[in-house]
Amino acid sequence: MALAMTPSRAARTLRGSGLDRVLPYLMLGPTLFLVLGVVVYPLIDGLRTSTGFFRYGSLVRSVGLDNYAQAFRDPAFIEALLTTARFVVLAVTIETVLGLALALLCAREARFIRRIRATLIVPMIVTPVVVGIVFRLIYASDVGLLASIARAVGLDPPQILSTGTGAFWGLVFLDVWEWTPLLFLILLAGIQSMPVEPFEAARVDGAGAWRTFVDHTLPMLRPTILVAVTLRAIDALTTFDQVYVLTRGGPGTSTQLISIYGYQTFFQFQQTGYAAAMLFMVALVVLVAAGFAVGLMRRRGA
Amino acid sequence: MKRAVAARVAWALAVIAALVFALTPLVWMVLTSLKSNREITQDGTLLPGALTSANYISLFSGREFGAYLTNSVIVTAVSVAIALILGTQAAYALARFNLWAGMHRYVGFSLLMVRLLPPIAIIVPIFLVMQRLGLLNTRLSLIIVYATFNVTIVVWMMESFFREIPIDLEEAAMVDGDTRFTAFRRIVLPLAAPGLVATGIFAVITTYNEFLFALVLTSTPAAETMPIGAATLIGRINVDWGAMSAAGVIGALPIVVFSIFVQKHLVRGLTMGAIK
Repeated sequence: MALAMTPSRAARTLRGSGLDRVLPYLMLGPTLFLVLGVVVYPLIDGLRTSTGFFRYGSLVRSVGLDNYAQAFRDPAFIEALLTTARFVVLAVTIETVLGLALALLCAREARFIRRIRATLIVPMIVTPVVVGIVFRLIYASDVGLLASIARAVGLDPPQILSTGTGAFWGLVFLDVWEWTPLLFLILLAGIQSMPVEPFEAARVDGAGAWRTFVDHTLPMLRPTILVAVTLRAIDALTTFDQVYVLTRGGPGTSTQLISIYGYQTFFQFQQTGYAAAMLFMVALVVLVAAGFAVGLMRRRGA
Repeated sequence: MKRAVAARVAWALAVIAALVFALTPLVWMVLTSLKSNREITQDGTLLPGALTSANYISLFSGREFGAYLTNSVIVTAVSVAIALILGTQAAYALARFNLWAGMHRYVGFSLLMVRLLPPIAIIVPIFLVMQRLGLLNTRLSLIIVYATFNVTIVVWMMESFFREIPIDLEEAAMVDGDTRFTAFRRIVLPLAAPGLVATGIFAVITTYNEFLFALVLTSTPAAETMPIGAATLIGRINVDWGAMSAAGVIGALPIVVFSIFVQKHLVRGLTMGAIK
């Protein structure tokens, strides 16, 4: 108790009765219990699963790291990784450019501006599965919106979901529609928290809008952009719902992202151990990226 | 002067274009859901000729959309409530006490890493654990999983809120005879309320929308949630376009209504959820 009265401790914590020695652990307990039971235990259990060979859902024998080695010999796994990488890079790049443009557009005060902002983020609120349905209804070569428009102006309906390239770009476009609002939101917050002085100085100097953007806005916004891009990329890496509804990975393997392939390996091909190993490697990539993002946020003090 | 007017017109046009881009796909889904199947597949009209509610009626009679909706509301409400109650306490403990082995410094951060862990990465082990516990196809399994992922975000967001509230306020209240609990309830909680609201909104939206855990852990309308219900209407060969679009509308409606209801706090909740 004497220790608790030293200035450095007293400055941070509350002084109270002896109950305070156990109270924080009682308050923290249920949360830690949930996380240990629902995340940490399954993770450890999953590590064991990933070193096993299963038949009809039950463990036959341990195979060490064979499941991990198998992934690198599995052309479908490599292809899924490459498809995912292409998808993430394309979608996130487009989303960042559009999101930044939208944020600059909506950073000013204007009539209805709050309503406008709230409306622009609707796509990211809509249930992802429903977003998949929405884009089925747009792309469908018979009843889709694009087909109907094409027919109305006398063109052939575009074949989007029946060709590999079409389906892949269709998925990228879906993601851009759904998640540009997220980039918009984060970058808007970044722009609104920037100091006003440099911009006033630039205006006094007679700098044009583009110069001001390149010389002031962009450099100040850089850390925010980096955080936003990393967070979005982490999420995009494991995109699942929309693909499940839109294409199920097809046609062929053109939209088979890593999460879809991992899911099918487990639930359709019943390769329990291999699926666990594969998804662990994905988790590792995501956690490294997440650590990077959190590090950025901490340095920025957000 | 002319230039200023031209700039304003250009700005307005750009904003209108963005709004049209954001809303057209959804409007198309609503329009399709109001057409008869004949009109959708044969006439291929842009606007519905005659409005019909047949697609919506089919969701509730013959299909189980009432059950999906009930499950979604129960699972979302209970798991978010649990997460808010437990997470607020935990965040308070981390923000106000020096804990054993410096836990107050790294627990919040570790929980954030849990939140960033993608569901697909642990879906296989969680399925196996739930199978062993006999919890497959129960609402309880979803409540447990969602409460856990939600509690991580609650702790992370609320910890920083509590840290911003000066400790003197509580100390003064406790000197005046409040217990720690009443000081928390009277002083801290009201000050942290905006954070709690923002966190709750973010948690409700992500939980209602969640698909993968629900897909893997549930298998009948006894426990299946709205996103699963909407996805079941996507046939492999024959697609009932009218029913599918109505399912999309009904699937997204609760969360869109919720968002309109909490409109004032929505942008802040989503922004904080994203970057905190």
